[in-house]
Amino acid sequence: MRAVLSSLVLHVHAPKVRPASLRLRATWALGLISVVLLGLLTMTGIYLMFYYFPHPDAAWRSMKDLAFVVPFGRVTRNLHRWTAHGMVALVTLHMIRVYLTGGYKRPREANWVAGVALGVLTLALSFTGYLLPWDQLAYWAVTVGANMAAAVPWLGQPLRLLLLGDMSVGEAALLRFYVLHCVVLPVAIFGLLAFHLFRVRKDGGLVVGQHAAAQIGTTTESSKLIPAWPHLIYRELVVAGLTTAAFLALALLLDAPLEPQADPTRTPNPAKAPWYFLGIQELAHSSAFWGGVFVPAATVLGLMVLPYLDTSEQGLGLYYPRQRRVAIHIFLAGVAFFVGVTVIGTWFRGPAWQWMWWPY
Amino acid sequence: MIPRHEAWLHWLFAGSMVALVALVGLAMWQERERPAQVAQRVIAPLGVVDRCELCHDADQHPGKILDSHPPDRFGCTPCHGGQGYATTRKAAHDRSPDWQQPLKTPSERLVACASCHQGSSPPEQADVAAGRQAFARLGCAGCHPTTGAARPDFAPDLSGLSDQVTPGWLRMWLQTPQKLDPRHRMPTFALQTDQIEALVAMLLERAGPKLLALPAHSGDADRGQQAVAQLRCATCHRIDGRGGNVGPDLSIAGSKLPAAWLYSWLMDARRLRPATPMPKFCIAEEQAIDIVAYIREQCVPDSGTTPWQEREGPVEPALAEKGRQLFGELGCSGCHPLAGKRAEVAGITLDNFGERRVEDLPVPTRGPVAADLAAWVAQKVLKPDAFDRPGQPRTRMPLLPDVSPKLAWQLGLAVASLRAPPPPPWLRQDTPAGPAMPNGKTAEIVERFQCLTCHQLGKAGGEVARVPLTGVGSRLQGPWLERFLQSPVTVRMNQGERMPVFGITAPEAQRLVHWLQSTQADARIEAVQTGQGDAQRGKWLYDKLFCDACHVLGGQGRMEGPNLDDVGQRLQPQYIQAIFELGADVVPEGRHPRVRIEAASARDLTAYLLALPAAATAAQGL
Repeated sequence: MRAVLSSLVLHVHAPKVRPASLRLRATWALGLISVVLLGLLTMTGIYLMFYYFPHPDAAWRSMKDLAFVVPFGRVTRNLHRWTAHGMVALVTLHMIRVYLTGGYKRPREANWVAGVALGVLTLALSFTGYLLPWDQLAYWAVTVGANMAAAVPWLGQPLRLLLLGDMSVGEAALLRFYVLHCVVLPVAIFGLLAFHLFRVRKDGGLVVGQHAAAQIGTTTESSKLIPAWPHLIYRELVVAGLTTAAFLALALLLDAPLEPQADPTRTPNPAKAPWYFLGIQELAHSSAFWGGVFVPAATVLGLMVLPYLDTSEQGLGLYYPRQRRVAIHIFLAGVAFFVGVTVIGTWFRGPAWQWMWWPY
Repeated sequence: MIPRHEAWLHWLFAGSMVALVALVGLAMWQERERPAQVAQRVIAPLGVVDRCELCHDADQHPGKILDSHPPDRFGCTPCHGGQGYATTRKAAHDRSPDWQQPLKTPSERLVACASCHQGSSPPEQADVAAGRQAFARLGCAGCHPTTGAARPDFAPDLSGLSDQVTPGWLRMWLQTPQKLDPRHRMPTFALQTDQIEALVAMLLERAGPKLLALPAHSGDADRGQQAVAQLRCATCHRIDGRGGNVGPDLSIAGSKLPAAWLYSWLMDARRLRPATPMPKFCIAEEQAIDIVAYIREQCVPDSGTTPWQEREGPVEPALAEKGRQLFGELGCSGCHPLAGKRAEVAGITLDNFGERRVEDLPVPTRGPVAADLAAWVAQKVLKPDAFDRPGQPRTRMPLLPDVSPKLAWQLGLAVASLRAPPPPPWLRQDTPAGPAMPNGKTAEIVERFQCLTCHQLGKAGGEVARVPLTGVGSRLQGPWLERFLQSPVTVRMNQGERMPVFGITAPEAQRLVHWLQSTQADARIEAVQTGQGDAQRGKWLYDKLFCDACHVLGGQGRMEGPNLDDVGQRLQPQYIQAIFELGADVVPEGRHPRVRIEAASARDLTAYLLALPAAATAAQGL
């Protein structure tokens, strides 16, 4: 048993790691927390699947049964909901951290690309899951999201049709989203996550301090290394415990929303996408193509090719090194822009997407 | 091992584990609210899952409503509201972020009944029925387009107004119609003086159909007064406080309406206004001139000055354009066609109004905030401007005349019962079709005399006449009806509304009677078995049953019910017997005591009534 466990652990982690990578401020444990949340999501998700029927007549009722009848149904759904939102936020923060410390640079380019893909998968998982409660919030958020996808030139309408299986969100879309959410995307995210973690080890561990570029195994390095067990693994267990406790507390305190059953004949005004797409919806409001398609697509593609464009190897492992100030400023401006439009879309847009001076 | 100086890690680990155990404990503690067993009713067609009976006992439900609405077919929440899925008191009863329909207020429960009972209302729903009637009577659909409801057709076409009224009258009318005709149903628009001027300019510039040339000689007012009495104009029109409410009050019509217009109107009202409910009386030119003279001379204010005299004055034709704009904005054409056309719609649609939530509707700037939809509608009807906000355009909704707070609430119930299409039957103004309606020449006659202004036929027609045309073929004898149409006698002495004397000719009367007898039968009456009876015993029964408590016979009795002097010639034998056997159900008024006598006695009474010598009125040989 021990052998199995340790070999599993040791496939993820090197037997020995640099002491600097254990410091909290090296990573703020953001990637680790994301993995823990994915684990929580998997467990709660399986429990929810026992009680969920992916059909318009029954889906919303399943939610009510979870809330009132299923043992631990309410807290499980709350936990699933809040960890899903948390994972979107944590994955984003993780990416910001990696950018700031230059973690995307050689030799970690491939892993950065995989990370961006994981981020996109996280959004896709959250978006597909958003529809499943089949309440008004879900229905119209997904309708808005699918309509934004339809602004893609040439491919827009076929893409939307492929996603929804119909001209509007209906039973076909619900089944597709269910299969994507419970089978296709989880398989993809776990596969890619395995690659991501494998590459972390293969690329020489974390980017930390002045020695970031150095490979593990050089003689000067190896004398300072410490064993992963217990030093690293124990810390990871602590983070996992704290994360679980925090989100469980949130789930017990705060109920996940459930609006009236989806009604295609009653459009809420405004109809808003999930919060992490509200920045894009805000942009799409000014221009469906430039704001809704071009900017997000260019952002994702730009992030993916970034390591191949920015090849300087200076200032790695530091948060605000002198050599990278321009790159960091540009990036932070982009982040601030997205945060800004998301805040505007979330709180400052009212009926008919009109500007509201008071948070709506 | 972990170095000693990192002992804080152990504390953190221990802390997280303690927290986890505590939180799981809290989750289990929360589970205590979950019922061990769920009792639920699933009513799939209504989309209802009700778990109310976890706490409530359906057997203890007060009243008898569950006899007709068993919970296993209707559940609880369709009538009571609340969250049927919930298993805790608070979640089931109250509003929460997840559930916007808390337990219904008493008036919301009435609306819940009415939302299903869209046809004829059950007796407990008198308030809803009153509101639904008022919806049509007040012409709500004129401004609020509502699927299934036709725009009101009772308001006159406004072309040719300058032939009819003076600017002063029109100014006063537009200010407050009820100052000129207290019982008129035109609502009051809070108009400014300049708006009134613009509307007057616009309304008086439109020419109508050309008027007939008034004969050179003038008529005689006294003969005119007699003619008005003979023709029974008072059935529809009020003169000096007495008369019906179908047509306008004529008390001071003489100082308003010019002779030429009156004359053209009397000769053929439908030529001037194709949609008018006024029948075409077959009267001679002479008689018309007499009536014109009577109205012009006698129907004037006692003081000699008209109330609108001081408002007379020149009209500014340049304002007509502004008037046209205003006419559209206010939605006047919702009720008043202009040269047959209607265009603008002023108000919101009331389709699905009942599916709105009162929280989503505007809040009044003064007065209390309504607790439910019906109260909100009542507030809007009673004080349309209570929702105006400073700096925003004023409401266009007029103040409806003579609406009590109760009626406003009833109207609210009716509007709140509007759900998604198909439109409810009560909104449809059914015009009879198929065998009910005549065609060809008979249809022309019915059209000319506007029978349906007063008489009901199927679901259509007015309610002025007590006798609906439906089933009349099984009630009345043909020859009597023919005579009656040509020269109506009064059967119901106690009733103010009497059949006008239209001047129907003998061939026309024949045709009408043929149509009524061949199509307007009542199967219940036709099914009654008649037979030989003992008239002598019938007379004894007549006295014994105190029929004279309501009926007059040979000058004896009270005038509560119809006069029975010529009943043997008026009513068909089967119908007389049906009254005894079926009682109020077959009687037009719907109020005749059910006489509990055996069939033989019913035949005796019928024989007595049939054998009655026709009394004076019938014997005049008309």
